Amino acid sequence: MESSDIYIICIEDEAEVLDAVVRDLEKLEATFPIDTATSAEEGRDLVNKLLDDGKKIGLIVCDHILPGDNGVELLIELHKDEKTMPAKKVLLTGQAGLDDTVKALNEAKLHHYIAKPWSKEELNEVAVNLLTDFVLENEPNVLPFMNVLDAERLSEAIRSGKTLSNE
Amino acid sequence: MKADFLGLTFAQLSGLLLGIFGLVLPFLLPLGTLSFAGQLGLGILLLAAAFWIFEPIPIFATSMLVIFLQVFLLSAQSPVFSEAELPVTEPVDMSHSSWQIPASALKDDQTILVSVGPGETKSIHVSITERNGQHAIVKSDELRADHPVITQPNHRLVNYDPSSYTAFTGTLAHGIIILFLGGFMLAGASVKYNLDKNLTRYLLAPFGSKPRFILLGIILVTAVLSAFMSNTATAAMMVTVIIPIIAQLDPKDQFKYGLALAIPIAANIGGIATPIGTPPNAIAIGALQGQGIDITFTEWMIVAVPIVLIMLFISWVLLQFFFPPKIDRFKLQLDGKLNLEPKAIGLYIIFAATVILWITEEFHGIPSNMIAFIPVATLVAGGILTKEDVKKIPWDVLWLMAGGLSLGVSMQATGLAAWLIGGVDWASLGYVALILSFALVAVAMSNFLSNTVTATLIMPLVIGLYLSGTMGDNFSLIIVGVVIAVSCSLAMALPISTPPNAIAMSTGFIRTKDMAKVGLTVGFIGIIMILIMSIAYWPFVTP
Repeated sequence: MESSDIYIICIEDEAEVLDAVVRDLEKLEATFPIDTATSAEEGRDLVNKLLDDGKKIGLIVCDHILPGDNGVELLIELHKDEKTMPAKKVLLTGQAGLDDTVKALNEAKLHHYIAKPWSKEELNEVAVNLLTDFVLENEPNVLPFMNVLDAERLSEAIRSGKTLSNE
Repeated sequence: MKADFLGLTFAQLSGLLLGIFGLVLPFLLPLGTLSFAGQLGLGILLLAAAFWIFEPIPIFATSMLVIFLQVFLLSAQSPVFSEAELPVTEPVDMSHSSWQIPASALKDDQTILVSVGPGETKSIHVSITERNGQHAIVKSDELRADHPVITQPNHRLVNYDPSSYTAFTGTLAHGIIILFLGGFMLAGASVKYNLDKNLTRYLLAPFGSKPRFILLGIILVTAVLSAFMSNTATAAMMVTVIIPIIAQLDPKDQFKYGLALAIPIAANIGGIATPIGTPPNAIAIGALQGQGIDITFTEWMIVAVPIVLIMLFISWVLLQFFFPPKIDRFKLQLDGKLNLEPKAIGLYIIFAATVILWITEEFHGIPSNMIAFIPVATLVAGGILTKEDVKKIPWDVLWLMAGGLSLGVSMQATGLAAWLIGGVDWASLGYVALILSFALVAVAMSNFLSNTVTATLIMPLVIGLYLSGTMGDNFSLIIVGVVIAVSCSLAMALPISTPPNAIAMSTGFIRTKDMAKVGLTVGFIGIIMILIMSIAYWPFVTP
């Protein structure tokens, strides 16, 4: 299918790790274009640029340790912004302490926490699940996403009255 | 392709302009005998058709717009007609079949119009013997002293008796809409308490583990559910049933195409079976009620169920032929238990009682439209459906149907339907060719348009055709209505043909060409079956 205007954003300062994240999510890229940033600052600019172009942010996968502001601070900031609040947020980390994790959960409404090293299946499953949530909460028509996301949950939503064109 | 204007695509923008142009077009063309109200009606019809086809606004919104335009342009209280009065005068008897009438009443072809009842006129030929200023002396054997002569033959009330605006707004409470409301509430409650899902598991169990029988099971269960629920909700639910089945198949096994296609096909066909199965049935039944023909729930089923069964069987054979299974047998995961909480049991009782009352109308005589109010009232009174659940009912579909019924009302009342189909010698086509053309046009249109919209656009014309008497004597109005309703539901060649097709397509299990191949074959065989039924079965089971 053609790509949607819903973006996946990956923010990670180590090039190899960033490559690995993007590679692991490549099955989704045809539908959800992936864009990357290597610092919180760059991530913020990228998000603003995409929103200005009328795109939507569906999923943000963010490393914890970043140059400048750390990942938790960035996610909290993005959660406070009305436009990025609906985006699903994943924290990727090797060494976040309990405090930071709690803060991310409470203030950024973090949706998932992935510990390094992760497996491709795990990351994909998390991404598919969260994007399914995003599409169900934000998209009027879920049909274009059935073959990449969780088709059972999307059909279930149609069955229970999610709007669809008329018979 | 996106145009920059109002976020509409090029097609939507064309439709918007075309619709607005269509609304005024009838006043720019010489339309002969069409009444003034007919011109207004034609404008509304053209606008509705352009909007329904290109969808610059959602189709239910077009329906609301249609009702709005009729209320403000065609009703007795509208600014157009509220002050109007038909200018008539009684002819003065000059003896020896000579009459004095106002000269303005004379039309160019030496005829005058006399009023013979509200909204009805008769054209009388006269020979002019003398003209003196404002009066004319004419000779006519037909004219009588109690024949009010219309002094302005081009007046907007000629041949039109405007009805109250409630005739148009009232379609939302039409009996057939209430019947659907009852159906929607039963379906909504079934989804809420998972009756559809659990029923599916029980019903599929007897079909064993052989692929071809599982396919048959899926076809039959989908059809039965979609006869009572919306085709869309049924297809969506069945998709969740087949996803685990397809996961067990070898990715190269073509059988998955068959399984995935079985769902939209059976959902589309199953909707034909009962009056509440799908909105085109309502458009047909509503139009027939407008002509004083009431069809009971059972009468509809007697007419519709045989063609449904035949088409389901043919689809089963076709799907096995096109996509033969490689796998020998597989296991169906059939877990799930019937919900036994008190409210769910309440639903089962109400559902069963309603259906039993619907199909036994012959014995108790209470019309199905009235019975539909039993689930409407008891489901909410018993707390089985809450306010939130009631808000989730597809009210837009009810509006869509109401707009369609309302358009049909004005197309008959303004004489538009009769005018549109006039001038062609339909009877010379003969019974078979006429039925064939109705079915072909309906199937062709419905492949691209919503089934309901297709039925809405065609039904008033076909009713008008029947009423004009030019079809010959072989026809029963019921058969004509059934042909249109059934044809609208047999269009399933494209992903856009129906929502069930779109759902099946979006799972990614099937390819467009497979859908086109099977959909066209089903449509083609369906038209042949309609012909056979119209000749060999329906004439014997309809009054």
